Amino acid sequence: MRKIELERALSGEIEPPVIRLDDVCKDYDDDMHALKHLNLIVNKGEFVFVVGSSGSGKSTLIKLLLKEIGPTSGKIYVMGKDISRLKKNAVAKYRRNIGIVFQDFRLLPEMTVFENVAFAQRVIETPIKKIKRDVPNILSIMGLSERLDAHPSELSGGEQQRVALARALVNNPMLLLADEPTGNLDPRNSWEIMRLLEDVNKRGTTVIVVTHNKEIVDMMQKRVVHLNKGVLTNDYEKGGYSNVKN
Amino acid sequence: MFSLASIATMAACLFLFGVFYAVIANFRAMISKAETRVGFTVFFDEGISDEEIAEIGEKITYRAEVSEIVLTTADEAWEQYKSEKLSPELIQTFGNDNPLENSASYTVYLNDISMQESLVRYIRSIEGVRKVNNKKDVSESLTSINKVLTVLAIAIIIILLGVAVFLIGITISTGVSIRKQEISIMKLIGATNFFIRIPYIVEGILIGLIGAAIPLIILNFSYGVIINALQNNFALLLSGTDFVDSGSIMKVLIPLSIGLGVGIGFLGSNITLGKQLKKIEVKT
Repeated sequence: MRKIELERALSGEIEPPVIRLDDVCKDYDDDMHALKHLNLIVNKGEFVFVVGSSGSGKSTLIKLLLKEIGPTSGKIYVMGKDISRLKKNAVAKYRRNIGIVFQDFRLLPEMTVFENVAFAQRVIETPIKKIKRDVPNILSIMGLSERLDAHPSELSGGEQQRVALARALVNNPMLLLADEPTGNLDPRNSWEIMRLLEDVNKRGTTVIVVTHNKEIVDMMQKRVVHLNKGVLTNDYEKGGYSNVKN
Repeated sequence: MFSLASIATMAACLFLFGVFYAVIANFRAMISKAETRVGFTVFFDEGISDEEIAEIGEKITYRAEVSEIVLTTADEAWEQYKSEKLSPELIQTFGNDNPLENSASYTVYLNDISMQESLVRYIRSIEGVRKVNNKKDVSESLTSINKVLTVLAIAIIIILLGVAVFLIGITISTGVSIRKQEISIMKLIGATNFFIRIPYIVEGILIGLIGAAIPLIILNFSYGVIINALQNNFALLLSGTDFVDSGSIMKVLIPLSIGLGVGIGFLGSNITLGKQLKKIEVKT
């Protein structure tokens, strides 16, 4: 399937992939093997769905990519860097290259839409002038220009997820991780979010979406990586959920 | 809410510290004054000349721990003895004789009474010195009162510091747990630990600073009033007692209290942050 590509990337024939997992294992204890010998390459500009049932290792994969946990064995390269070797104080800077969106949005309720997005720039000490320019821009792309002063409680689920997406993208990350981004949304808002993610991907950001939404995976015909009990069982270039064999 | 409680407790601790410092400072000043009034007497060999006595006096004065020496000549000693101990009838029987002819002496006063013993040893080794009347008990008790006060002051300061650090820690850890979600998102977005810590450290320092300023203001105004009240109401009891003036007390207390407040604030917040931030990980 993607074996040839993996060999080419490893031999340095092609540009280093955005993500490269070499024989990664993650054990939480002796009996709990969350990931087993996972090999995966995600190249720049790809849009990848990661699917699988509960306990398949999807969340562990996200945690590993965010450097929240380390692998038990194997190597993880993100943008050419071995993140298993990252020192504690370098983790913060590493995470600035990654945007993340969650199912439950994780917006700060006491902040306005503008402040929630600006918060992502404030924490990396972006000059105020740039914040004032970037935040309205990204919120306009997300169709939220009219909602800058609203608080999360005043927004619909779809709007909240668009704010979360704006926050994830305002620092121009190379990689966007979306963990069940449509899990709390109705079909109309789910499609709206997927359309935005596709737009983001077209602008050059590598997007990885962890999802259970069969309809979306089938319709979008993107790369689908299937995990089952910590093992990569299927990897389709342009697949759907229905192709997945357990 | 918790910040206010911390400020109040910090203020209470530093107020107690200030009161304690003022009491100790006055007590020590009184002891120092008493120390300078406690002297010992040096007697000379029989037949010693005035020049030799002056030479011995120079040797004693040269010592750093000596604040003053007072010479009592044999005639002065006899005059004093006569007026204090003898009846006029008995005095007449002596005529012009001075039975204390060999009793000229120096009374030696010290800057630091704890040095008395070594000084006495030195004076006894000087040629021409016959005897030194050493008031060892007085010097020892004054020295030990001083030591007890110092130890007591240090112990109380350590206890107050511990309490204040603990309270700041509680405030900061409450603040951190309230803002758990915010901190988790901060970590996720790529905020450095330094960036996350800064507002809490500033909060800790501010608590310390405000907690130090309040008792300083109160003490500055109340010290003079209390001293005046004491002097007016206990005039007889406190006659001859020189209290340390407010300016001297505040000169030491202002930098000390602010330093303690800021230090405790910084220390309390930093220790707590280290523990609390480790608990908050990015929740995916």
